[in-house]
Amino acid sequence: MALPRPGVTPPAPTANSDSRLLVQAQAGGREAREELARRMRGPAYVLALQLVGNREDALDVAQDALLRLFVHLGRVAPDRPLRPWLFAIVRNRARDLWRRRTARPNESLDARPDLSAHLAAQAGDPEQETARRQLARRVWSAIGGLSRSHREILVLRDFHDLTYAEIAGTLDIPLGTVMSRLHAARSALRGRLEADGGRHV
Amino acid sequence: MSEQCGRGFDGALLSGWLDGALTQADEQRVRIHLEDCDTCRSQVEQMRRFREVIMSTEFAVPPDDQWSERPRGAASRLSLGAGWIIVAVWALALGGYAAWEVWTSDEPLMGKLIVFGGWTGFGLLFLGVLLDRLQAMKTDRYREVEK
Ligand SMILES: [Zn+2]
Repeated sequence: MALPRPGVTPPAPTANSDSRLLVQAQAGGREAREELARRMRGPAYVLALQLVGNREDALDVAQDALLRLFVHLGRVAPDRPLRPWLFAIVRNRARDLWRRRTARPNESLDARPDLSAHLAAQAGDPEQETARRQLARRVWSAIGGLSRSHREILVLRDFHDLTYAEIAGTLDIPLGTVMSRLHAARSALRGRLEADGGRHV
Repeated sequence: MSEQCGRGFDGALLSGWLDGALTQADEQRVRIHLEDCDTCRSQVEQMRRFREVIMSTEFAVPPDDQWSERPRGAASRLSLGAGWIIVAVWALALGGYAAWEVWTSDEPLMGKLIVFGGWTGFGLLFLGVLLDRLQAMKTDRYREVEK
């Protein structure tokens, strides 16, 4: 049986227009700035949520990150994708929050949040949950249970679809470390799902 | 959950293979290995399956109006900080003036002490909160520099 060849991920369809917007925003275009902010909100919020695990803090982290992005917008190279830049800020804000909250035990963040609680509502009858959705729930619960360093590299690659080079930049780690850490994260995820009785998935 | 299959193959290469991130030589190695290693082949298939599920997930995102209604940005923090400093200066000036007035008045000593005792308490409380705010502002500024 022939194995399917690994696909080379094509650039995201929005990448080009992002950089066009970025150039316009850097030149002081108000509409471009607003459009850029609107576009970046979703990804910033979802990454923040995946890292901090609750809606309130995720919104704070994401908004703070976007403000910072716009303060330093002039320093962003327009020929490079914007999202890794934004993600690095989100990730650093999230880590600051962790550090601050760890100092106050009664406000500390949930180290193993159940991310499946934040999936978008499903269209149609909520009683009739599809098998695919059930699987998604199981997978996201398991991802919430991973260590923070495994969780962040896994979502950057498998959800946000960053390249290895972009991940290295976002996490500030050597490119050579990305593959092994990512594989460790994926193995840990497999382990959790198997422990959860998901051998057949 | 070991990093190597029974034949000592480096599992990380499987992730690299899945992501199309290997050199040609490594890609060749993986392909040859996968042809006759069931363990690694099923591992790759599982990882591919998870990736599909993960990528196709949608999360509930707060609506746009929730973003503008939470003014906790740099500008509001700045005005908050400036506000505290002005209030502190104002309280110091007013308190100093009032203290001078009471001390130089004809009030009996006991009355003076009662008034001063209350003010000292308030003053310490206020100072505590103020120092707290200043500390928060300072750490905030460090964070700004960091990224
Ligand atoms: Zn093998």
